[in-house]
Amino acid sequence: MATLRERVIAALTPYVGATVADTCVRGTALSIGKSADELNDSDLPALESNVRRLLSPVAPSTVIDDLLAQIERGN
Amino acid sequence: MSAQTSAPRARGVITSGTYLTAGVLVALAAIFSFLSSQMYAGTLSDGAYTAAYWYGTLLQVLLASVVITVALKIGLNQRVGVQWLLVGSGVASYALGDIVWTVLDLHMGLDPYPSVADVFYVLQYGFFVAALVLAVRSYKDLTPVRTPIMIAALVGLVLTAAVLMFLLVPYIFPAGTAELGFWGLVVSTFYPLGDVLLIFSPALALSLVIRQLGAGRLGWPWWIVVVGAFVFALTDTAYSYADWAGSGLTATLEMGWVVANLLFAIAALVARDAYRVR
Repeated sequence: MATLRERVIAALTPYVGATVADTCVRGTALSIGKSADELNDSDLPALESNVRRLLSPVAPSTVIDDLLAQIERGN
Repeated sequence: MSAQTSAPRARGVITSGTYLTAGVLVALAAIFSFLSSQMYAGTLSDGAYTAAYWYGTLLQVLLASVVITVALKIGLNQRVGVQWLLVGSGVASYALGDIVWTVLDLHMGLDPYPSVADVFYVLQYGFFVAALVLAVRSYKDLTPVRTPIMIAALVGLVLTAAVLMFLLVPYIFPAGTAELGFWGLVVSTFYPLGDVLLIFSPALALSLVIRQLGAGRLGWPWWIVVVGAFVFALTDTAYSYADWAGSGLTATLEMGWVVANLLFAIAALVARDAYRVR
């Protein structure tokens, strides 16, 4: 089973590239006082909120909803 | 990097409908290129010349409608939708300017430069700079934007100095109102400066921002917009010089604006696919 970090990066990379995807995860982890590798499913709400905030200026909400669903499903 | 996290290939994202539509638009532009060369060569009959003239003008209307349609489909309640509507409004302003230009030049026998058409051409700069600035700002929480903006501003200042030194001071300003007329001097000064400060520099800033996305698909349409903006700025500046030099419009210059707006239309089509939920 992929970690939450890996799932988020896998979902975001096709849209914003690997570097920005990684930055996105690290930023979220920092904002809740964790490292990216320490993120787990209990952090999903904070992570989703942050991903939505970061992506809403650059992508339609349908894309963001789909990405978040992918992250939750883990594929 | 695993295959799961790799950036997408264009073939998997861009739909056949986009390739087909873009192909049709490129073909229509190629037809105009041929017609334009015949117009400038003076080989067309009066009727054929009028038809070819309007063909080019209506092609711009078609390109504008493509961008605006995509923007409306994305939705104006989405911030990216607004960004694309601004791009589309810029192309539409250009198309309106072309309609006015065509009527003045073709049907009223008036010199269309400068004229009411320039109101729409100038308006286009406002829409483009708003679109480009919004696009840059939209990435501010995802990637660093301050350095790209500073680099673009610096390059913009250098190019502004170059435009002043090599175009405005030696050619446009000495011609003054006596040769160009008041509005002629105003627009002949505005266009090259606007091309550098309102089109080229913001486009450069955008390119430096989206390059940080690597192969991420959200950057694809903006890359095409950036190329279109560069083509537009180059064509416009060349026209300012050509107008002063007395050579006026040429078939190549005409195609520069067509290619720029064609690129904006193709960018919108690519955006539609890039924003599509898989």
